[in-house]
Amino acid sequence: MKDRIWKSVGLLIILTMLFAGLAACGPTPEPEVVVQTVVVEKEVEGETITVIETVEVEVTTQVEKEVVVTATPAPTSKVITFAWTQEPDYLNPYYTNMWFSTVLHQLYSCWAWEYDDENAAFPKLITEMPTMGNGGLSEDGTVITLNLRDDLVWSDGTPLTADDFVFTYEMIVNPANTVASVYPYDMLDSVEATDPQTVVMTFAEPFASWQANFWRGILPKHVMQPIFDAEGTIDEADSSLLGVGCGPYVVDTWESGSYIRLVKSPNYWLGEPKIEEIFFQFVPDDASQTASMIAGTADVGTFPPLSDVPTLEAGGLEIMVQSSGYAEGIFFNFGFGGSPAAADVNVRQAVAMAIDRDAINEDLLLGLTSAPETLWDPLEGGFWVSPEIEPWQYDPEAAKALLEDAGWIDTDDDGIREKDGERLSMVYGTTIREIRQDAQAVIQQMLRDVGIEVQIPSWDADLFFASYADGSPCALGEVDMMEWSDSTLFPDPDHYYWNCSELPNDESPWGANYFGCDEELDALFVEQLSIIDPEERAAVFHEITKIIHDKVYWLGMWDDPDYWIVSPRLTGVKFSGVSPLYNIMEWDVTE
Amino acid sequence: MTRYVIRRLLQAIPLLFFISLLLFVLMRTASNPLVTMGGKRVPRPEDRERLARQLGLDKPLYVQYVYWLIGNDWAKIDMDGDGVAETPGDQKGVLRGEFGNSLVIRGKPAWTVIKERIPRTLLLMIPAEIIILIFSLVIGIFSALKQYTVTDHVITGISFVGYSMPIFFIALLSIQLFAIKFKEWGLPALPPNQMFDPQVGKTPSQIALHMVLPLLSLTFVSIAGYSRYVRSQMLETMSQDYIRTARAKGLPERMVLYVHALKNASLPLVTIVGLDIPLLLAGAVVTETIFAWQGMGFLFIDHVSRGDTPVIMAILMIVSVAVVVSQLLTDIVYAWLDPRIRYD
Repeated sequence: MKDRIWKSVGLLIILTMLFAGLAACGPTPEPEVVVQTVVVEKEVEGETITVIETVEVEVTTQVEKEVVVTATPAPTSKVITFAWTQEPDYLNPYYTNMWFSTVLHQLYSCWAWEYDDENAAFPKLITEMPTMGNGGLSEDGTVITLNLRDDLVWSDGTPLTADDFVFTYEMIVNPANTVASVYPYDMLDSVEATDPQTVVMTFAEPFASWQANFWRGILPKHVMQPIFDAEGTIDEADSSLLGVGCGPYVVDTWESGSYIRLVKSPNYWLGEPKIEEIFFQFVPDDASQTASMIAGTADVGTFPPLSDVPTLEAGGLEIMVQSSGYAEGIFFNFGFGGSPAAADVNVRQAVAMAIDRDAINEDLLLGLTSAPETLWDPLEGGFWVSPEIEPWQYDPEAAKALLEDAGWIDTDDDGIREKDGERLSMVYGTTIREIRQDAQAVIQQMLRDVGIEVQIPSWDADLFFASYADGSPCALGEVDMMEWSDSTLFPDPDHYYWNCSELPNDESPWGANYFGCDEELDALFVEQLSIIDPEERAAVFHEITKIIHDKVYWLGMWDDPDYWIVSPRLTGVKFSGVSPLYNIMEWDVTE
Repeated sequence: MTRYVIRRLLQAIPLLFFISLLLFVLMRTASNPLVTMGGKRVPRPEDRERLARQLGLDKPLYVQYVYWLIGNDWAKIDMDGDGVAETPGDQKGVLRGEFGNSLVIRGKPAWTVIKERIPRTLLLMIPAEIIILIFSLVIGIFSALKQYTVTDHVITGISFVGYSMPIFFIALLSIQLFAIKFKEWGLPALPPNQMFDPQVGKTPSQIALHMVLPLLSLTFVSIAGYSRYVRSQMLETMSQDYIRTARAKGLPERMVLYVHALKNASLPLVTIVGLDIPLLLAGAVVTETIFAWQGMGFLFIDHVSRGDTPVIMAILMIVSVAVVVSQLLTDIVYAWLDPRIRYD
């Protein structure tokens, strides 16, 4: 009796599992194509006519043929899915700098000008890029005039005018709004709409990098002004941008933790995109993203682990690489309370020669990257980089000789050099990102081979990048060599990390210069910002890059571009490093 | 019993207060929300200074805690940086039922952020807990009754293997097998992640289909562990004198098993399940991340890494309250299962 009960229970469980499994894995009913004759009413120029059409319809039938399940999506349906490893945080472009948010801007928002796959600017909302030649840029470089297209409209049909530009500016600089950054709008004296199609921007001083970071999104005044008037802030107005935009698509649905759905804008002034709907599915795990791409549930992914690249390529997916201005490198603390070793240019140059950067790129990054010589290498084919720079070659013997000549000698035979009783020892810190920790370990050994000792601590990014006020080890000058990935104010070459005014202290705890003050370099950085002519400005940057390279204030480890995974069913796909989805209108699907 | 329940609830108030203080200090000192606001680059110093001022992060820690606790609508904030506090605060504070606004999604109340994720977590965790309980009881009892038979050894072996495997390994293995390899082999494949296919819609069948792999990962390890508890408790109980007495009285074996043995053997399981209840709300970080089933677990990790104190504090306080309540419920169930236990 007892056995029978247990056998029955066991059987029941096995059957339950079996049925559950079958239900979950049950085969999708095969669609079959039938030819149907249908009567269609069409309205042509106000006149209703009846036509008879023969169409092929895919229907799915159950085994017993009793129910006709819904037809599969119409053959013309073009829907694509992005596997998005981070959920965007805002629709309002001025409340976020998160890359996974800003990439969507080319879909539902609009920039005054965008950038192509060569990272070159082209006009979008304006008729032409302002130059001195066309009068868009004043002779003294302090006034920029934007001429807007006359056919701009929001997705709800409201005209997009210069008033929207002025409103956007006012919202960014209004202290009631907690926007992510007021740069570069805090450089402006005023923004005025002289007529519906003309925006005049006035600066107190010439501002050379104006082209890089202005008007990355326009806010709809007719939607947000009433909210601002009622609440005194637009901090809580993000959801008002659902369904309203000035791009080829509008955000139709945002289900938190799951997906964003964009549908075609009914009033896009450049016509209709070929892709009808775009989904951004949030897949926060790299391995899961790879699985989605290989399983075909997503068409586009980003930043795969480099070790997954061969698997993805074997699965027929294309890996597209686009420079976005970033490069991984070591920043040296040459004069901000670091060790005497890091302050010695001979030591820094010896470090540059003692690290086999090619081997690191080949072994740790599978040969998919290379070592840049300057932080400006990823910009415009090296336009801003001094042609006189001689790349640092891996040469441990030369590194040893340089250290010997500089008086760093191993007097106690412990393998580490000393000078004036000071051990050649430095702190080489970074974040806890795995690839960086791997690089730390490899570099530690390479440097030890030439008699340089480095300790290799690592910190959580929010502590590592915290400020002087928050007690960051970098901001307190406790780290001699700091590694992370960074860029200029891309696509502009401007940079402020090495400005002497950025050295943090009790009075100015937010400063970003954790490296030291080089008066010559500081003067050059200040000078370049007011030079409007690109050639003249490039000449200054040639001096800047030469100093930073030769004095080894920064040592490039590997370039850090954007990686895209693209399904073979997509055509016409290109990416920009600044406005990534700039050519979404040309994307198409081949089934 | 009523007095006991009231006493326990009153004791929980200072405990929760202490927990909130400790967690707040830990959160604010161990993370920095301003660092992650610049995207791939660290925000400019001017923006950090401005945001710190606007969000009240430049205030001393005890002031921030007081604002979180009782609100700041009685104080003023210097929003424009001129050194004069001119804008009235708008936080009501936890004691008035408001967890404050998220720092990551500024302007969005922390409770709204959490409210969007709780149903997703419960949808996954409650079925998982039910499956774990049913299967661990059935397997544990079966294994105990078949002690030292081949079946028992097989179950024991599988349990040890299951208990030894980390959840992420089971999750990735199941994706590789049921989503990728099945597709390669031309078999009906399961979706690798997500709660449903948005192109199809959030239908019950879609959710059920997408739940299979996360549930498998979530339950496998726990069933393996819990069934061992049940087995050992059943074996111990079955050897007790009162079981022999029950059998000697001529009670049917089913009654001996389910009324006398199982009820007494359940006490340790009740303790474990009691500890599990708060986890139903806290979610499962690894499973949610790998299967893109973004519930409370993923929300917690995501916002911890971005220093979002209001959201994290809200999650932790909800879980803390759940711990207090679940432990109280556990004690009440103890008294029901074992009449010898008295609280009054």
